[in-house]
Amino acid sequence: MEIKIKSLVKKYHQKEALNIPGLTIRRGSLLGIIGPNGAGKSTLARLIAGVDPISSGAITYDNEPMNPSLQQQLTIVFQKPYMFRSSVFNNIAYPLKLRKESKESIVSKVNKIIEELEIQDICEQNAWTLSGGEAQKVALARGLIFKPRLLILDEPTANIDPASIVVMEKMIRKANQENTTTIIVTHNLQQAKRLCSDILFMNKGEAIELDEADNLIKSPQNPLTKQFVEGELVY
Amino acid sequence: MEFITGILSGFKLLIAMDKEIIEIVLLSLFVSLSATVISAIIATPLGILIGIKSFKLKGIVVRVIYTMMSLPPVIVGLVVYMLLSRKGPLGGFSLLFTPPAMIIAQVCLITPIITGLVYNGTKEKGAEIKRVAKALGANPTQTLFLLIKELRINIFTAIISGYGRAISEVGAVMIVGGNIKGQTRVMTTAITMLRSMGDYQTGIAMGIVLLTISFIITSILYHYQQGE
Repeated sequence: MEIKIKSLVKKYHQKEALNIPGLTIRRGSLLGIIGPNGAGKSTLARLIAGVDPISSGAITYDNEPMNPSLQQQLTIVFQKPYMFRSSVFNNIAYPLKLRKESKESIVSKVNKIIEELEIQDICEQNAWTLSGGEAQKVALARGLIFKPRLLILDEPTANIDPASIVVMEKMIRKANQENTTTIIVTHNLQQAKRLCSDILFMNKGEAIELDEADNLIKSPQNPLTKQFVEGELVY
Repeated sequence: MEFITGILSGFKLLIAMDKEIIEIVLLSLFVSLSATVISAIIATPLGILIGIKSFKLKGIVVRVIYTMMSLPPVIVGLVVYMLLSRKGPLGGFSLLFTPPAMIIAQVCLITPIITGLVYNGTKEKGAEIKRVAKALGANPTQTLFLLIKELRINIFTAIISGYGRAISEVGAVMIVGGNIKGQTRVMTTAITMLRSMGDYQTGIAMGIVLLTISFIITSILYHYQQGE
């Protein structure tokens, strides 16, 4: 799915939080959005996901504006995911139930992803009792289960142990290889370097630089990007 | 001594399954449960919608609901009486001094209570649940069902509070029902009348029934909340 952003503005209480004149996210890319705190990374992710309203401007998905059918083909996994008051299994199965899949298909798909994410031991647990890291894994499974055409991840591996990060990154990479355009918001430049084909650097609500990951890290064009990559622009 | 005798006699009347008491108890349950069901159907989606939607005058709407949560039952009774009386706008339906009139009065009384409590629960978690539902591809109807499911404890508590108000109020049902024996006499109006007649035993029997019903309902709520 190719995403085009045109004159995008987001305001909160009349204060501008985001202003992007133009941006294109390539179909099939794995885009990392990096930048310091308050750069507008999560805001942009939510706007692209269609879960927050745009103040002005437009976002198109394969040249189509957001509509109910498109909304069903993309998803966002939040940094602090909300878990439904039910078992882990039911949480992961929810998107498939919405899409009226058969019971057999739901059981088979959910069991497969539970195995891939190595969360068999918490499968029957009440999702409300999960730790932050476990909830993030379940939320990733819930987002991947219906094979969205666009997957947006907001800090998906924050508070997760290194072994689990490896498993989750493997899943993200696999989904991207299966033609899911993927956007990952991260603070972690190393993670962006490992995972992403493209990187967008943001600062103070603006898209400063978008380039292929290697180019942006090795030879950033913008001084702010350079500062960030070199670790000077932390706040 | 009269207090102890009253309680003992009250228990005796209950054990004997006094026909009049049973009739009054059943009518009370019918009126209050009907009012609670109707109010829950109106107030649950209303409270959720107010909780998740942003609109002009929302602050005023919420303040009006909060004010109506403490509406005096006699005022509700009086307004419903005026609406249903022969010269009132709804006088043609001849509902005054019937159980439906009592149900209408109780619906007016408890709908704001359930709406306000559901709104309170929704404003905390509602936006987040709605956002996740949208992110996973739920349509507006599926989102509403998910909200009801996720907020079920808040909703259940709100409905129980509304029921508690309905079963225990006396002012509104007295005005629109008239406390007619065998027709509109419910536990609270009967207790009021029995007290004025000096028949404490039957009054206490009714009181015991009221408290027992409240205890059973509270126990169900407690059990449900513990389970969650």
